[in-house]
Amino acid sequence: MTITTLSDWTGQVGTVTLGAMKADGGTRSATVTIGGERDLSFIGTPPTGHRPLIAYELCDDPSLWPAPVTRFLGDRASDPAEWARWAGEEYTPDLIRLFLTSTRKRGFSDFASVTTTVENVLQATGLPLIIEGSNDSDLDSEVFRRIGEAGEGERFLIGTAEAGRYRSIAASAMAYGHLVIAQSPIDINLAKQLNILLREIGLPHDRIVIDPYTGALGYGFEYSYSVMERIRFAALKGDDDLAMPMISSAIDSLTVKEVREADPSVSDRISVAWELYAMLPATIAGASIVCVRHPSAIQPLRAGIDGLWSAPAGKGGA
Amino acid sequence: MALKALDIYKLLPKKNCKECGEPTCLTFAMKLASGKVKPEDCPYLDEKAKEVLGASTRPPVQRVKVGVGERSFAVGEEIVQFRHEKTFFHEPGIMTAVSDRMDADTIQGIVADVRDHILVRIGLDLRLNGIAIRSESGSPAAFAEAVEAVEAVTDLPEVLMAEDPAIQEAGLAVCGNYRPLIHVATRDRYREMCALAVKYGCPLAIRAPTLDTLAELSGLCTAEGASHLVLDLTSPSLHEMLNSAVAVRQHAITRTSPALGYPVFIDTRPSRLPDAALICGVLKFGSILVADAVSEESRKAFLVLRQNIYTDPQKPIQITPGIYRVGSPGPDAPVLLTVNFSLTYFTLQGYLESSGVDSFMLIVDTEGLSVLTAVAAGKLSETLVRDALKEFGVPDLVDHRKLIIPGYAAPLSGRVEDETGWKVLVGPRDAADIAEFLEKEWT
Repeated sequence: MTITTLSDWTGQVGTVTLGAMKADGGTRSATVTIGGERDLSFIGTPPTGHRPLIAYELCDDPSLWPAPVTRFLGDRASDPAEWARWAGEEYTPDLIRLFLTSTRKRGFSDFASVTTTVENVLQATGLPLIIEGSNDSDLDSEVFRRIGEAGEGERFLIGTAEAGRYRSIAASAMAYGHLVIAQSPIDINLAKQLNILLREIGLPHDRIVIDPYTGALGYGFEYSYSVMERIRFAALKGDDDLAMPMISSAIDSLTVKEVREADPSVSDRISVAWELYAMLPATIAGASIVCVRHPSAIQPLRAGIDGLWSAPAGKGGA
Repeated sequence: MALKALDIYKLLPKKNCKECGEPTCLTFAMKLASGKVKPEDCPYLDEKAKEVLGASTRPPVQRVKVGVGERSFAVGEEIVQFRHEKTFFHEPGIMTAVSDRMDADTIQGIVADVRDHILVRIGLDLRLNGIAIRSESGSPAAFAEAVEAVEAVTDLPEVLMAEDPAIQEAGLAVCGNYRPLIHVATRDRYREMCALAVKYGCPLAIRAPTLDTLAELSGLCTAEGASHLVLDLTSPSLHEMLNSAVAVRQHAITRTSPALGYPVFIDTRPSRLPDAALICGVLKFGSILVADAVSEESRKAFLVLRQNIYTDPQKPIQITPGIYRVGSPGPDAPVLLTVNFSLTYFTLQGYLESSGVDSFMLIVDTEGLSVLTAVAAGKLSETLVRDALKEFGVPDLVDHRKLIIPGYAAPLSGRVEDETGWKVLVGPRDAADIAEFLEKEWT
């Protein structure tokens, strides 16, 4: 007998493709596909499904961005297009995730800037894009319409839909051919409910990515870790309403006390550690896209994912 | 497979004699099912039942203790594959490596740091656990000297990493009475290593090229009398390490390969990715992890990750209810109410600190539930708020009567106003927005 991992799963995580190249009506230089797993993450030689991807997060208003990153970036942070181009070329993430933080400032009304910013970032990088819009139901309709329109045919992943406010986002995705991030507060049942709501208004499952919400390391990360394991478990057991790939971003990583209060001389190192020690675990728990904000976190995260993914040359594995 | 409480109950005498210390046979059965009592605690169990229960209630991953004294630690006794199924019990011991090629001062510098470094979080002391001494010189005398250098400054648990039995014994001659982990027995020389493990009463790490040969070696070692084993799954490939560790845990808890029912040992060095290997080890079933000295930042992140993963998911971490100060709040400072779920507390506290507004946090007892859950479950109520204001003397601390409540508690605002007579301001749902809220609403 040969002792290997035990797999009696019947289900499979669905696949989702982000980005569109010229032939499919977009302008991206590549597309990426996530999901497809028929086992736990990295299990099996080779593992099932698609290798987890890294999204690099940036924003259009750095006053709301963590200080360790803006310090590291200097002037680049003031221009999201240049920021995206530079990060894409120098650090080679798989995706760029643009937060339109300008829409989250009080009294925001410059809707035309949404279109301009998205168009500029599209010009600046060929990577598939994730776009995060407003966080206010009074603005959502206009903001998401503009995001959708500016990227028509580009197959953006747009976010973030929640149980209370998902219609504007879903409407934009359906009208302009995009995908939706569906976020629920660290709760498998609420995640499922939201996916059902989205299906009922006409958004097919292969255009949804689950965001189970990720607490920062030391600030609830374990709850997110377990909810991701449970969602993957449910998918492998055959629950179609939870069989979408997941995105994980511990967005508070660089504002937690340990990082915020660190001496500036170690600010970059502690930032990288706090992002790496949450996002690599997230891939093991089942996330298909993991997100970081400090550019220097991309390389060690990539090395970890590659090491977990690849069987050693010339060996059949365990 | 593990028996359920009701299956166990059927095998018990059902006398409810209480001699085992439990009120009824059924409660005894329930405790037996979760491994909290032993079959022998029941004085009336017949031999056959003892045999059946002994085999199926023994933890599927054997307990192994390393070291003696205050810093000694036990690993194993795990019963699940996913922490959400119950919990993980014994967090992995992390052993900082030194080499017998280092001079005594270098070794002692590293050892003293492991011995003295403490990270305090949520009221708990987080520390590294011990020292692994690598034999790299090939000399028994140099190995013994290195072990002596470690012993001179600490009684931390040790791993003696020497495959050559002669070198291993040189180390054991120095510290063999303090239960170090002997590393490592392979198929070639397992008899000599087992003899050392038996002689010194030490746990033994074993290594083989595949899981099948590892299971076979485990059987050979127990037959030699070395019964406290750990399985070395070190590999240069993280992929292989993860897959082996998952397979070992699965086969252990389903009892399909009892010979693999032992804790897992991982040396992070061959992977050349120490952070990733530590992460993989702590998440996926490593019990003893060896790492060359890591950066201060990696150590901090690792200790916090281990604490997170080994937190019992059945018990929300709670903060003692009361009034907490952020900065130096005066009588005109805002009072912000929230729940005693520690995550909520620390998140709000963090954002209040960065807002720079001196304030009071009024923490009420929702049994560790988050705001959303506490409101839904009726654990956060107007009477609870009224009593907490009184109990913690809030009216004497401030000269205003305004209370800021979490956004998700908005449905309670009217009732809280009626019950307390305080004016209620509904704060943001997300603590991240608290600075903006205070700037706008608290002038």
